[in-house]
Amino acid sequence: MLETQKLKRANSNNAAMIAFAGALLLLATAVRASADVEPGGQSNARTPRYRIVTDDVGREVKMPIEVNRIVTLAPNLTEIVYALGLADKLAGDTNECDSPPAAKSKPHVGEPQNPNLEAIIALHPDLVLATTAINRVETADALGRLGIAVYTSDGEAETVLGILDSIARMADLMLAQAKGADLVAQMRRRLDELHKRLEDRPMVHVLFVVWLDPLTTIGQKTFIADALRWAGTESVVLSKQTWPQISMEEVIRLEPDYIVFAGTHGESKATELTDLRSRPVWRDLDAVQVGHVVNLNQEVIRPSPGLVDAIEQLARQVHPEAFARRSENRGPSSEIPAEEPIRCAR
Amino acid sequence: MRPLTARRLALICAALGAMLFIAVVISLRMGAYPISIPEIVMTLVNRFFGRRNEIPPDFWNVVYEIRLPRIALGILVGASLSTAGAGFQALLRNPLADPYVLGVSSGAALGAIISLAIAPQTAGMIQFAAFAGAGGTIAAVYFLGRRGGHVDTATLLLAGIVAVSFLSAVIMFLMTTLPGREFRGMAFWLMGDLASPPPISSHWLYLLLVIGVGSIYTTSSDLNLILTGEQEARHLGVNVNRVKIVVYVAASLLTGLAVSVSGAIGYVGLLVPHLMRMMFGSDYRLLIPTSALGGAILVVLADLLARTVVAPTELPVGAMTALVGAPVFIYLMRRRVR
Repeated sequence: MLETQKLKRANSNNAAMIAFAGALLLLATAVRASADVEPGGQSNARTPRYRIVTDDVGREVKMPIEVNRIVTLAPNLTEIVYALGLADKLAGDTNECDSPPAAKSKPHVGEPQNPNLEAIIALHPDLVLATTAINRVETADALGRLGIAVYTSDGEAETVLGILDSIARMADLMLAQAKGADLVAQMRRRLDELHKRLEDRPMVHVLFVVWLDPLTTIGQKTFIADALRWAGTESVVLSKQTWPQISMEEVIRLEPDYIVFAGTHGESKATELTDLRSRPVWRDLDAVQVGHVVNLNQEVIRPSPGLVDAIEQLARQVHPEAFARRSENRGPSSEIPAEEPIRCAR
Repeated sequence: MRPLTARRLALICAALGAMLFIAVVISLRMGAYPISIPEIVMTLVNRFFGRRNEIPPDFWNVVYEIRLPRIALGILVGASLSTAGAGFQALLRNPLADPYVLGVSSGAALGAIISLAIAPQTAGMIQFAAFAGAGGTIAAVYFLGRRGGHVDTATLLLAGIVAVSFLSAVIMFLMTTLPGREFRGMAFWLMGDLASPPPISSHWLYLLLVIGVGSIYTTSSDLNLILTGEQEARHLGVNVNRVKIVVYVAASLLTGLAVSVSGAIGYVGLLVPHLMRMMFGSDYRLLIPTSALGGAILVVLADLLARTVVAPTELPVGAMTALVGAPVFIYLMRRRVR
C-alpha cells in the first residue's frame, strides 16, 4: 500500500522532470531560431566596401577596405603595428603586450590564449590580428562567427625570412605597404650585413634556454633556430619539436660553447650567471665556468621587428672579434652602425 | 528522513529553478561588455517579435552569440556531470564515485587529443572522439572491475584510479612528443573550459541531456532500494541488472556529453550530489532532479565568476567550481557533524 502510494508520487515527480526538460528544450529552440538569422549583415550599412583576403593559414577574411580600428592578440603583432606607424589605429591589445611601453596603456582584451570576446566586441575592431605562434584556432573561429574579420599570421615560419614575409603581408593588409617595405628592407639589410661580417667565422655551439625549470629549449624547425644561425651560432639540440624539454645529461654530452637565455626571466646576465654557478651540474659546464652566458632581449622568441635587434645582440656577444675587426678596417667613421631599434621607428 | 511528497518535491525544484533563473539573469547581465538589464530585455523582446534589425549588432552578439551559448553550455555540463555523479554513486554504492574518479574524463581527453593529431580540421571530430573515449574508458573500467561475474565496487574504483593514471600518462606522452599548435588548446581543455561553446543550435546535445537525466530518474525508486543492498532489492522485486544497465549507460552518456563539449571539469559530479544529500536527504527521487538543477546553478555561477573576477582575463572554470563549491561543502559537512 505504502509502496504504491510512493510509486504514484514518483509518477507525478516524473511530470515535474519532464516539465524541466521541456523548459530546457524550449530555451534551446528559442536560441536556435535566433541563431538562424544570418550574422554579420548588420555591419554592412556602416562600411559597405569590403575586400576578401586570404590569411597565412588559408582562411578567407572579409574585411573593410579602410582599416581604422585594429585589435592585436599577441605581443609581436602589437610591435608590428607600432613599427608600421599605426599606433593610432590600435584599438586594443593583450595583457602580455609590453613593447613598446605605450602598448601597455592600450585597452586590454585578456590573455593571448584566451581573450575575452566581449571585450573585443566592445572595441569595435575592423580587423583582429592573430598569430599561429600563440593564439588558438577556437578564438579565430569564435570571432569569425561574430562577424569580426580575423587575420591569422604565420608566427611559426621556420626561417627568419619567412617571418619577414609575414610582416610584409600584414603591412599590405593594413594598407601600410610603403612603410612595411621599408621596414622589411631595413631588417633584411641588417641581416645581410651580419652575414657578411660572420661568414668566415666558425659556428658557435649554443644551448638556447627558454626555461630553466624544467629545462626547455627550441627545436630545429623554428625561426628561433634560424635566428641563431644568422647570429653565427647553432643550437646544439636537434629536435623536431618546437619546445623540447631536455635532460641535464644531454647538456653535459652536448658541451655547448655558450648558454643563451631567451630573456623570459627578465634577469640580467650577471644574475643568470650567479644562479647557474650555484646549481650543481650547471656550475661544472665549461661555458658557465668561463662565463659564456648571454641574456638576450626576449624579442628573440617573438616573430616581430625586434627579432633583428636580438640577433645582432647575440652576434656581438659571441663574435666580438668580428665586429672589432670590421670597425678597425673601416676606420673610426664607419664604426658599428648604431641602428636605432627598429620597433621604435615611426 | 522526512517522507517525500509531490508537494515537497515541487517546492524544492521550484526554489532551485528560481535560483537557476536568477543565476542566468545575473550571468546575462555581467561581463566585459557593459549592457544593462533594460537593454537585455529590449534585445530579447525584439528577438521574440522577430525584429532583428532593431537590435544593435553589439547587443545581438553579446547576448545571443556569446553569453547565452555559454550559459546554456554551463547548464548542460553542470546538470549532466552532477546527475552522472549521483548515478554512479548509487550504482557503485560508493560515495567517492564520480566521472572524474572513474577515468571517464581522462578517456574523453585522450580521445580528443588523438582526434587533434589525426584530423585537426574536421568539424565535430573532437566531440565525437571525446565521446568515444569516454564510452570506451567506462566500458574498460567496468570489465576490469568485474570479478566472478559481478561488479566488485572496490575493484571497480581501483580500476578507475588505474585508468586515470594510465590515460594521463599517455596524454602527457602524446603532448610532449607530438608537434603541432593544435595542442595549445589542450591545456585549457584538460582543465575544463566553457569559452568555446558549440553552436547553441545543437539540439541533439539538449535532447541527450534530457534522455540521460530522464532515464536515470525513472530508476530512482529502485536506486533507493538498491542502496540498502542488492539482495534486499532483489527480494523486493527490483530487476537489479536492468536498473544497473540503465544507470550505467545513461551516466556514461551524460559524462561523455559534458566532457566532449567542455573538457574535464572535475569535482562537480562529486560535489553537487553530496551537497544536495546534505540539504534534502538521500531519496533518489528528490536527489536526481535537485542534482541536475544544483549542478546547473553551480557551473553557471562558477563560469560567471571565471569570466568576471579579473575581466577581461578569463580563468578556467574548473578552478572556479572548486572555489565556489568547496567552502559550501565544508560548511554543510561541519554543520551535519555537530
